[in-house]
Amino acid sequence: MARRIRTTKNLAKRMDLQYFKQAHPLRSWRLWLSILVPVVAAGWFTAQRATSQKIYGSGPLSAAHAVLGKKCDVCHATTLGFFHAKVSDNACSKCHDAPAHHADKVAFTVGCGSCHIEHTGSPRLASTQDASCVQCHADLRTRSGNPQYVRAVKDFDKEHPEFAALRPGAHDPGQIKLNHYAHLKPNLAGPTGPVQMDCQDCHRVAAVGGAWPYAMPQVVSQHEAAAASTSADLKHSHSQDYMAPILYVNQCAGCHVKDLQFDRRFDQAAPHDKPDVVQAFLIQKYSDYFASHPRALAEAVAPERILPGKMKLPLPVPHNRQEWMDQQIMLADRLLFDKGCKLCHVMLEGQGADGKTTEGKAALPMVAKSSIPARWFLHAEFSHDSHRLLTCTACHNRTPESRQTADILLPGIASCRSCHEDSGAQHDAASGRCSECHSYHDWTKERPTKGKFTIQQLRAAK
Amino acid sequence: MRIDETHRKWFIGSLAALVVAAAVYVPYSRNAPEGANGGTVAGLIYGSVASAFMLFAGLLGARKKVPIWRVGRAQAWMRGHLWLGFLSFPLILFHSGFRFGVGLTKGLMWLFVVVFVSGIVGAVLQHFMPRLTTQRIPLETIYEQIGRVRSQLVAEAQTLIEEGSAALRGSVSRATEQQRAASASAGTIGGLTVASGLQVDEGASIQLQDFFRREMQPYIAHGGSKGMALADRNRSQAMFQQLRVLLPPNMHPSVDDLENICEEKRELDQQTQYHRILHAWLLVHIPASYALLLLGAVHAVMALRY
Repeated sequence: MARRIRTTKNLAKRMDLQYFKQAHPLRSWRLWLSILVPVVAAGWFTAQRATSQKIYGSGPLSAAHAVLGKKCDVCHATTLGFFHAKVSDNACSKCHDAPAHHADKVAFTVGCGSCHIEHTGSPRLASTQDASCVQCHADLRTRSGNPQYVRAVKDFDKEHPEFAALRPGAHDPGQIKLNHYAHLKPNLAGPTGPVQMDCQDCHRVAAVGGAWPYAMPQVVSQHEAAAASTSADLKHSHSQDYMAPILYVNQCAGCHVKDLQFDRRFDQAAPHDKPDVVQAFLIQKYSDYFASHPRALAEAVAPERILPGKMKLPLPVPHNRQEWMDQQIMLADRLLFDKGCKLCHVMLEGQGADGKTTEGKAALPMVAKSSIPARWFLHAEFSHDSHRLLTCTACHNRTPESRQTADILLPGIASCRSCHEDSGAQHDAASGRCSECHSYHDWTKERPTKGKFTIQQLRAAK
Repeated sequence: MRIDETHRKWFIGSLAALVVAAAVYVPYSRNAPEGANGGTVAGLIYGSVASAFMLFAGLLGARKKVPIWRVGRAQAWMRGHLWLGFLSFPLILFHSGFRFGVGLTKGLMWLFVVVFVSGIVGAVLQHFMPRLTTQRIPLETIYEQIGRVRSQLVAEAQTLIEEGSAALRGSVSRATEQQRAASASAGTIGGLTVASGLQVDEGASIQLQDFFRREMQPYIAHGGSKGMALADRNRSQAMFQQLRVLLPPNMHPSVDDLENICEEKRELDQQTQYHRILHAWLLVHIPASYALLLLGAVHAVMALRY
């Protein structure tokens, strides 16, 4: 039986009543650490600040601006005295000077930073969030009160209108008669025999080089040479994104040159050019022929092929060079302008060069401008190259059965939605962000900027 | 501080505030063109409120330093520290859009994680450990006095050993009254005559002193003493049982006292261990909190600049 008894009195006697005044390891550690840790933190901050201003950054810069990581004041210029250094629109426009989106029409224009969120490590700063666009386009207000575009667009998945070219009332402005169905039939008469045509025989992105399989064997006029090498209608296009324009010399001539043959006495076909050029070509050809064939007046005059419309045959015998020339050119004109050209072109009969009807002497016809749209999306970007893993008919599925020129073969928004979703990669889908197709700024009006840094200045740590 | 019924109002208030903050955050983060971040109006509001809560939580230290301040009861401050400090973390996440950022903001967020997690650990420990300590350590004393009590235990044991040794050597003059009384009353225990008076046993005396010098004195004098034989209750009991066999029955009360001293020392060691567990988190929480407040102030100023 232990004799030690713990009474309160006994215990109290053990205590040093001043114990709380004495240093104790745990309290001492707490005190010193409470001094040391903030000092270390302040030291870390000071050391970081001494080498770079990045310590203040809220996140990594976008890929395009990463090179400015050591030069914060390029964008964060000090204004309003010494303290304020927020990024202003002026700082952005020093390098990216482009007019804002419909600046003259929209009710208000947002600042650059409200859509292009920097310091989030974005690989592409131009890829803005849909919310940036929807803040206006969900209920579009303009200064005039009547927006030119659909008033409410909230997302791509559900609340985006059908493409303008496919809405009721829209029509194909093209004036070339083309039957896709006929062109895709097997055993078409090709330049050297039967052929099976493919989409890419006529439609390729502009950047793809190489010969066109149904191109003109040789360029015959300066006009055609120029046409073959330019993409006149391809405004703001990227050569990898849009199809090369359809040109007679590139895509048609290989097969259709025979439609410009006008007289078996000549190997050369008429040029694919304006009527007055064709007419001058014919006059020149027949003048040369008459000069080199003294018995031309005695040769029987007969049309090259069956002519359209009614004509009294045989034609009267010409008595002189002028009558012979008139007959030859009349026959060639009818063969070309009334048949060959009309196969593809819309001819505006009886109109002069100024478009007015001429009376008396038969006027040369006018050929309606082909007006094949180089781009169907006038307010959106599209890249065929990005979609190259797909077959053409995967999207343009109505094309093989299209018989009418007026058929608009642009895929509808439903086709795009098959792959593109707002949530994008999260749903194993392509992005459906506004910025995938639409650009806010009108970059055609971008003004040039003048650089002001040397590499050393830009890369020097500050 | 135990989180009990008295925290009900704080808990409900904090939960309601958190729900409101989250309810505002969801549409805000979805609709803000630039996404949720500290630079938006909503982001600044979240940041400001969270900073105010953190500052209040930080002022608890000052409140404790000056207990006579008439600024509310210490318990109310503690509850405020606990719940507002807890609330400040989700608010800061709403402020940052759940991003840690880079540079200073990244440092701040990690510091805050350290402060928040250590605070949670501390709150859990403060809830459970005091009761556990009371249950398991009946001989609990003031933590800061443990060293002093240990010295007293050494002195007490020393006295018992010296008295016992003297008695064993036959020095009646050095035997205590109790020992003399015990010897006088010694008789038959359990049918066996174990003693008839103070024994004279020089060998036992030497062994008793040897036991004290080699085992008991080092064990009691030093804190922790992990690995020593007497730190283990079972081994300790076995050792004292051997001592009882060695010593005459009239010495057994002294042996019991010595064993009791060792038991008290074991409890002091356990109290030390519990105290360290209960308070070690403060070595992380408080310094990190000061660093957080310091760098947070820098962040607030520089965020206004940039």
